Amino acid sequence: MDKFTVTINGHTIEAKPGQSVLQTALDNGIHIPHYCFHPGLPVAGNCRMCLVEIEGVPKLQIACGTTVRDGMVVWSNNDRVRQAVRHVLEFLLINHPVDCPVCDQAGECGLQDYYMLVGRYDSRFAENKVVKHKKATPIGRWVMLDQERCILCSRCVRFTREITKTNEMAIFNRGDHAEIDVFPGGELRNRYSANIVDICPVGALTCRDFRFRCRVWYLKQAPSICPGCARGCNIAIHFNPERPHHAGGRRVLRFKPRPNPHVNAFWLCDDGRYSYPFIDDHRLRFAALREEGGVRQLYLKDALDRLADWLRASRSGRTAYLLSADSSNEELFAARKLLRDALGVRCLLPDTGLRTGDADDFLICEDKHPNTRGARILFGLGENDPVAPDRLEAGLGAELPELLLVNRADLPSPLRDKLLAAGTRLVFLGTNDNATAAAAHLVVPLVVFAEQAGTFTNFEGRVQKFELAVPPLGDAAPEWSVHQGLAERLGIDLAFPGPAAIFRQLTAEVDAFRGLSHESLTPHGAMIRHE
Amino acid sequence: MELSDQLKQTLDALKEQFPNGLSVLMPALHAVQAAHNHIPAELEQPLAAYLAIPAEIVHEVSTFYFMFNNRPVGRHHIYICGNLSCWLRGAETLRDHLADRLGIQPGETTADGRITLSVVECLGMCDHAPVMLLDGEFHPDLTVETVDRILAGLS
Repeated sequence: MDKFTVTINGHTIEAKPGQSVLQTALDNGIHIPHYCFHPGLPVAGNCRMCLVEIEGVPKLQIACGTTVRDGMVVWSNNDRVRQAVRHVLEFLLINHPVDCPVCDQAGECGLQDYYMLVGRYDSRFAENKVVKHKKATPIGRWVMLDQERCILCSRCVRFTREITKTNEMAIFNRGDHAEIDVFPGGELRNRYSANIVDICPVGALTCRDFRFRCRVWYLKQAPSICPGCARGCNIAIHFNPERPHHAGGRRVLRFKPRPNPHVNAFWLCDDGRYSYPFIDDHRLRFAALREEGGVRQLYLKDALDRLADWLRASRSGRTAYLLSADSSNEELFAARKLLRDALGVRCLLPDTGLRTGDADDFLICEDKHPNTRGARILFGLGENDPVAPDRLEAGLGAELPELLLVNRADLPSPLRDKLLAAGTRLVFLGTNDNATAAAAHLVVPLVVFAEQAGTFTNFEGRVQKFELAVPPLGDAAPEWSVHQGLAERLGIDLAFPGPAAIFRQLTAEVDAFRGLSHESLTPHGAMIRHE
Repeated sequence: MELSDQLKQTLDALKEQFPNGLSVLMPALHAVQAAHNHIPAELEQPLAAYLAIPAEIVHEVSTFYFMFNNRPVGRHHIYICGNLSCWLRGAETLRDHLADRLGIQPGETTADGRITLSVVECLGMCDHAPVMLLDGEFHPDLTVETVDRILAGLS
């Protein structure tokens, strides 16, 4: 039998044999309170919050540890269950300090949520609380430990044992002296450590980077894709539109993983998670023109006028474009239509952070760009691409280009100096400041991925969509709109009304993407057709 | 600090009787304690490496069970029960009497390193409450007088 029905709180629903009662309920939109259960971890059954009544079974059972049976009738909302869960929560709170006003978890805390649901509201506990040893103690680069807030659900212990297999977290001592900790003198030594902050249902593990920056209820979220490597882990960008004075003016305050069973399950590596500051720090906000006597800021439209003139003036075959694997599929497609197809510009993908040698067998990819696969497909890159820094000069052709457009990359300084000495006009299109931007004749500010919608193609060929989180800074524009603006000035007919329309055009013209649509990318992305 | 060769031989013999490193941990900790009086913190990592298990688990187990001492203890170790049956039958008086006689609080060791006093949970002899465990032997149906006699007989 593949499927049968169970009845939970009077709703008859289809269940998969072998699944737990709790998972079945959650999959069908019925929330049963739980702390220790996490869909990405083995079942522990220690918090006792998910007690339910099963008809025909005399005692209440934990929904996470009970497998569904055909015809099972389950109640999670009757008085008997409510009363039992209220007692469980009362026990869990016995040694909890209830220091919500100074706790960074407040607002996204399981204890607060369930206290509103089934709490007693009046404490009966007159004795002294057992005070644990460690308060606000760092246990790694990113994680802060407050033992007294812990309810010993053991999610962090199971994460380090089962997912990273590094075993750092453990429960020491016994009974009401039990406390989570790392080995005496040790610390977290895995590159996924901040996931234990995400899965901690209370304020025992908080993020050293995020804590006290902003109360979570000020944050808004946008679904996105981590730009840290070629894996394309699904994330939510948490940004703070209404309290710009918090966090030193940074708009984006953190990345949180978003589940995708095909890519990252429930997890995100620390490198990707803490890559977010580039969205607000050292950004290029306005176009800049280097002239005799210094650098002058100018409007984007004037910069595009200038760039169009330069493109017109450059002799055939003497313009080159260094594309970026940080661009979205839509941006790359716009560059392909204008620069490669209409203007015949030589397009190269420079190897900056593509072969770092830094990878593991879980999520971290060697290639530190989110869309190398997309760039390879859209520009038909072969064996010799991407071009290593020492072969970049040779890749630019027999003669140095008259006009070189560099997208985001920082050129090796010997090459940069040589180009400038040879009289090459250097145009930098990019999001963040670097030495190449500082040396360029013209700087065109681009938006980062979080400031536009688009798609990335991960290393496996999974096309995934990201949404706009924060508005562009200053004059920064999406790369496709820069190409569109140039096309208008050069009298080339390219109509790009927006990223959705570009994606439609892309799927119609590029074989690998044929058949895809924004609808088919929801919710977990879709694979390209294999080349 | 390293595991002694003698201890390693004992551990090797134990390992043969158990399917894996986790299952041999309890007897291994007993062996360490027998050799060193307590479980020295510096030996937890060498022991974990020898059994090929995480040091965190060794520390979990050694801090969980009351029969593993994480600090040095005296030549004699008194475990007096503090649970319900013994408490109803006067364990509290015996505990205070022992503390007075030895001049230490529960959990401490006499200055000469002779006797350690610990209050523990149920020892499983409620029908002979109050009881205490002294160097591995039960002493049932205790009174202040029998406790004094037992103390007088200690080396």
